[in-house]
Amino acid sequence: MTGIGWLTQSLSYPFMQRAALATVAVGVAAPLAGVWATSRRLVYLTDAMSHAILAGVAAAALLGSSLLAGGLVAAVVMAILVAVLVVRARLPEDSAIGVAGQGLFALGVIGVSLNAEPRALSHVLFGNPVTVTAGDVAAEMVLAVGIVAAVVVCLPVLVATTLDTGHARTLGVRTGVADTVLILGLGLVVVIGLTTVGACCSTATRDGAGTTARPVPTAWCSSAATSTAPS
Amino acid sequence: MSPVLQARGLSVRYGPITALANVDFAVAAGELVALVGRNGAGKSSLLRALAGLVAYRGTVEHHPAACPRDRGRVRVAYVAQRATPRWDLPVSVRQVVGTGRLDPRRWWRRPGAGDRQAVDAALRRVGVWSLADRPVQALSGGQAQRVLLARALAQEPDVLLLDEPCEGLDAASTGALVDALTALAADGVAVCCALHEIDLARGAFRRAVAVDRTVLADGPAGEVLSRGRVADLFGLAGTG
Repeated sequence: MTGIGWLTQSLSYPFMQRAALATVAVGVAAPLAGVWATSRRLVYLTDAMSHAILAGVAAAALLGSSLLAGGLVAAVVMAILVAVLVVRARLPEDSAIGVAGQGLFALGVIGVSLNAEPRALSHVLFGNPVTVTAGDVAAEMVLAVGIVAAVVVCLPVLVATTLDTGHARTLGVRTGVADTVLILGLGLVVVIGLTTVGACCSTATRDGAGTTARPVPTAWCSSAATSTAPS
Repeated sequence: MSPVLQARGLSVRYGPITALANVDFAVAAGELVALVGRNGAGKSSLLRALAGLVAYRGTVEHHPAACPRDRGRVRVAYVAQRATPRWDLPVSVRQVVGTGRLDPRRWWRRPGAGDRQAVDAALRRVGVWSLADRPVQALSGGQAQRVLLARALAQEPDVLLLDEPCEGLDAASTGALVDALTALAADGVAVCCALHEIDLARGAFRRAVAVDRTVLADGPAGEVLSRGRVADLFGLAGTG
């Protein structure tokens, strides 16, 4: 069998087509959002969030409701917990993230072990692209398109608030709102990838690719500076 | 001269600490004002209150009709002390200056021709045009400070508030900065600058306001900062 034939033949199976679409959706949305996590130094927060999401997924599995919805709820709870701990309890941010993230993760592990099928834990953490359903694929595509559109539309605000939050505030930008939306968006990316690549790998796709992408615009910028130096 | 920005009875408190008490202060178009005072005297609080960045009691009135170009509202730009942009981001000087054009009411809008012109004009004005396409990681301290000034100028302000812009700059960079500020004032921008460098304030600024929780003195820089008075005003050693 030729290399190409090996590819085309496997893609003739419907489960492989779904897997391909699902991984492409994650592969496009995750790095695009991840760039902002790395440049705002939010990687630890988003990593902790991906662990916290386990709590929501486990609870959803026990209640028999949608895993995606459970993950989303957990992401929002995590964001609120961190905000409360930082603003009310005056904890340093990394402590708040550690407490909230690991606490929810512990709840998640308990919840998963209560399930009749403990293998679900590895499924949530590492996903399985060949088992995604058509409904999962459709939901992931919609969410991925939403993420891409949001980044494109919000680009001016993202650049200004990431570069200098203090200055953005002097312009009248509501930076708290921008931060919250971004954090929820980053949580959403983990949820998108949940069924396909799992919580852990979703974090890796997002932040790993975001980090790898960083030198690219710099190099491009430098070459533009040398080639189009203004007179 | 009628003021562009006028503060009356301005008080700023941080919890139990009173930073400013009952300050009256006004600045007119084209003025170049040095705000002087010891550390903790409330210079930064006054600038931040004027920029609307901190809660205060009292009033700050904006008078757009007193601007050389009445645009219906007074645009105030603020350059913070020890501003901490993420200089490690992979963006160019032009992009950084371009963020000054962001309009929070139309935040999704992409820069148009007018924005590009304003950015180019700001870059030329502070003498960083040649750095326009350089990545910001490659800037020196003096260049970075001028890029921040250019970003404020891209806002096309009527009032420009600067907090210790000369801190950490060498003589050449300070000179370039002060020249840029002088030229701006000559074009009708009201420039108000918190400073520690008494000699610089005395030499380059026309008006000086001495602050210590309230306004101690306000007048021509030569008088307010005359060698005899400086020691009286701040108890500063070695400046007279």
